[in-house]
Amino acid sequence: MNGALRAAALVACIAFGVACTNDPYPSADARARVLYVPYSEAPKTLDPQVAYSVYDHEVLSNVYETPLEYHYLKRPYELIPGLVTEVPEPRALGDGRVVYTFQLRRGVHFASDPCFAIGEAGRTQRELVASDLAFAFQRIADPKVGSPVLATFSKIVGLAEFGKRLAKLREDDPSFSSLRIDEQYQRAGPIEGLNWKVTDSWKATNQLEITLDAPYPQILYWFAMPFTAPVPWEAVVYYDGEGGRDGFAEHAVGTGPFRIARYQKRSRIVLERNPDWYGAEHPEWRAPAATYPSEGSAGDAEAGRVAPGLVGRALPFVDRVEMRFEKESIPVFTKFLQGYYDRSRIPKESFDKAASGGALSPEMASLGVQLERTVTLGTYYIGFNMVDPVVGSAGGERSRKLRQAMSLAIDADEFLRVFLNGRGIPAQSPLPPGLFGYEERYRNPFRTVDLERARSLLAEAGYPKGVDPATGRALRISFDTGDTSVQARLRYQFLVESWRRLGLDVEVAATSYNQFQDKVRRGAHQLYFWGWVADYPDPENFLFLLSGAMSQTKGGGPNSSNFDDPRYDALFDAMKDRPNDATRLETIGAMRALLEVERPWIELFHPEDYALTQGWLHNVKATGLTVPVWKYYDVDAATRAERRVAWNQPVRWPAFALAGLGLALLVPGIATYLRERH
Amino acid sequence: MLAYLLRRAAWGAATVLGVLLFLFALFFLYATPQDIARRALGEKAPPEAIQQWLVNHGYDKPAVWNPEHPLDTRLAEHVRRMLLFEFGRSDADDVPIAQRLRDGVGPSLSVTVPLFALGLPLALSLALLVAFFRETYIDRAGVVLCVLAMSVSVLVYILGGQFLLGKLLRWFPISGFDPDPSVLLRFLALPVLVGLFAHVGADVRFYRAVFLEESGRDYVRTARAKGAGDARVMARHVLPNALIPVLTNVVVEIPFLFTGSILLESFFGIPGLGSITVDAIQSNDFATLRVMVYLGALLFIAGQMLTDVAYTIVDPRVRLG
Repeated sequence: MNGALRAAALVACIAFGVACTNDPYPSADARARVLYVPYSEAPKTLDPQVAYSVYDHEVLSNVYETPLEYHYLKRPYELIPGLVTEVPEPRALGDGRVVYTFQLRRGVHFASDPCFAIGEAGRTQRELVASDLAFAFQRIADPKVGSPVLATFSKIVGLAEFGKRLAKLREDDPSFSSLRIDEQYQRAGPIEGLNWKVTDSWKATNQLEITLDAPYPQILYWFAMPFTAPVPWEAVVYYDGEGGRDGFAEHAVGTGPFRIARYQKRSRIVLERNPDWYGAEHPEWRAPAATYPSEGSAGDAEAGRVAPGLVGRALPFVDRVEMRFEKESIPVFTKFLQGYYDRSRIPKESFDKAASGGALSPEMASLGVQLERTVTLGTYYIGFNMVDPVVGSAGGERSRKLRQAMSLAIDADEFLRVFLNGRGIPAQSPLPPGLFGYEERYRNPFRTVDLERARSLLAEAGYPKGVDPATGRALRISFDTGDTSVQARLRYQFLVESWRRLGLDVEVAATSYNQFQDKVRRGAHQLYFWGWVADYPDPENFLFLLSGAMSQTKGGGPNSSNFDDPRYDALFDAMKDRPNDATRLETIGAMRALLEVERPWIELFHPEDYALTQGWLHNVKATGLTVPVWKYYDVDAATRAERRVAWNQPVRWPAFALAGLGLALLVPGIATYLRERH
Repeated sequence: MLAYLLRRAAWGAATVLGVLLFLFALFFLYATPQDIARRALGEKAPPEAIQQWLVNHGYDKPAVWNPEHPLDTRLAEHVRRMLLFEFGRSDADDVPIAQRLRDGVGPSLSVTVPLFALGLPLALSLALLVAFFRETYIDRAGVVLCVLAMSVSVLVYILGGQFLLGKLLRWFPISGFDPDPSVLLRFLALPVLVGLFAHVGADVRFYRAVFLEESGRDYVRTARAKGAGDARVMARHVLPNALIPVLTNVVVEIPFLFTGSILLESFFGIPGLGSITVDAIQSNDFATLRVMVYLGALLFIAGQMLTDVAYTIVDPRVRLG
């Protein structure tokens, strides 16, 4: 008995000794060049033609590559060649059509994968050819793939028709679906606007020509998004989710600098250096997307991001990226403070501890942590439904003044302070900073708080003190939302209270998301709160949200305000295809002036992202867009290992004190018992 | 006994059918597939993509009644799939649900099994201890502590444990999971410890009451009269007889070892079956949620039947029939 007890005590001690560390990683990795980042939502899909969330793109963009990429350091954003040799220029055809020629690099390979044995027995690798890029477009058109960007790429001549032919073939002949996917696409016939040529002569070509039915200069930005990442047809065929194989949405076969080593998306995702990447195989090419850039923009030199030792070095710098799934923000922050994550957001609860007044707190600064602030390319706003008889354009001057008055009552600074720890800047127009057309000095006269003016505007509108003469009571407006969470309720309460000061009775109508969507589709809403985050850095991507053609009730577009003003549409048409010149700037100014008066939106704020970076992580530059950045990061693993040890010495004495206390409680009890028994 | 089991099984089948119909009403009629599609595809998805998603997932079929093909409805499909354990794919990310369940069982068991294997002996021995020292300060202090432990929410233990043992004392990682054997133990230590603390109070108090009730019985007095010592009386006489109510408490729990602990898994980031349920709720993944509720019902019925059978084994007086 005594022996067993002693053994148990010994085992407990050893177990405590072994388990007693808060290090979440194997000790073998302590000095490895690994980047540790948390992720709060598991990717839904790794299929580049389908993925449309930042969580998907964060993983995807490092594994797949696109024809074009963004310059890592330059602002405003600038496109650089990715898989292609140069950024293509549009070539106008006589009939209004426009052609882009993408010259793909020769000698780029997909990462080794067993799927390539389908094309040729025993093969594990294949060169990237232009038809792989075309295949990506065929997939976008394929209704079975369900790509969310078909509408955008339907500007490619014949793309949408291809999808329709494919659907018809599948419907007419059930056996058609059992054909291999590349055969199905072949039988569905060519796409007029997609022509590729691959030759192996002395001057090897590997090019894809894309014809658009009308000029659309922004299309190039879409070639820097994962939707246009070439995928090998073999992978789509092989990874079908049958016979123990993953589905294609769970298994990436790309050309990128990293490949996926582990994909347990509900706990961890591990990316490792891809030895087949063209940057690794051909460093002598000094390809723009595989070499550290030599030029930056303001602030990069001071931050050491264009140091001579860095410029021109081959990417990537880290050997591995360990992504850990963390749903809650507080554990992430704690682990960051323990040195186990290299980057972290600041949870709301700990905001004052980490940052005060927009700067790093002294406590954080003493740890060597750095704060990166970036204004996201996004705009949050309160929208009026312009087809509504009370608040919409049908009400004419009366409704316009009502909208103007309501706009004057909302204090964006206060909103940001109360709900977002001040993380954001009050919006003056739909355009966020960082975009062409954004003017820092511009102040929207209806986006300051001026209750006096608001009240007089209301009186002019025929609602003196907010009272509707038809009912004799406060004018009732419904604020529709599909978000029933407590946080949302508080936010809406803030807005409702602001309008109450004008005497208006705004009522929050919170329904299920679907019911809300349905209301918006039918145009049965009055006021709503929404946000838009840019797909690409061009003002067109924001200003189109108010164009008549995009009206929700008319054509199901994202213009949920149903703002439909011919003057605005004319300006929009003049602006959208222009290069960034003075005329474009002037046109944008005119559009802004129109929105200023018409007020289909009460622009609220552009969110600002606060990210903390450990001192041992180098070359970090916030982007505001989800683009491949990890290949540019570098880690000083030795410093990290030292800091982790120093920061994480376990405090052992409470364990011994607790054991002592337990004994002290038990021994007298047993002694008493034994005494009484005798 | 066989007849009894058959009867129980028939009741169980009726219950399962009821659960299936209830799930259908809840997830197909009350919540609509468009809702799920929106969540799955994101805010910017155009209406055509939503429609295509519905077609691809079979949500475009008539709900209950299809005059042309009576069996080609969502109801028939739902019942057929559940009964055949063909769970299909997740609404959120198209991963086969069966695969997700297989992936989740290991992490769940790695928390629940140690919790069960350590928790039961711990609760039993603590209960024996306080019952042994009944009417002394150990007993009273024990009861007070148990009531205190029971009254505190599990969440407090979780957050408190993370703060104290993970952040302040730095004994364990505050959350996370890694099946790699070299680090698995340190990830499990904190959730298991927290789980033990959260459950032990109620269990000890219950077992103590059982033991005290048994130790007041005639056969205990007889044993003492025959000269058996306190320890022997407790171990040889009271414990075996007190096992019957203990068993009810325990056997019901066994099937649920597989479903994991929802709160522990969610807060400690353990990718088990318990957090699957929470994730499914948060991401409107109704396909997964239906499966989890259905499996929960099956396991509950199985647990009930297991308890009945176990009764007859430990207590010869109980006869099922």
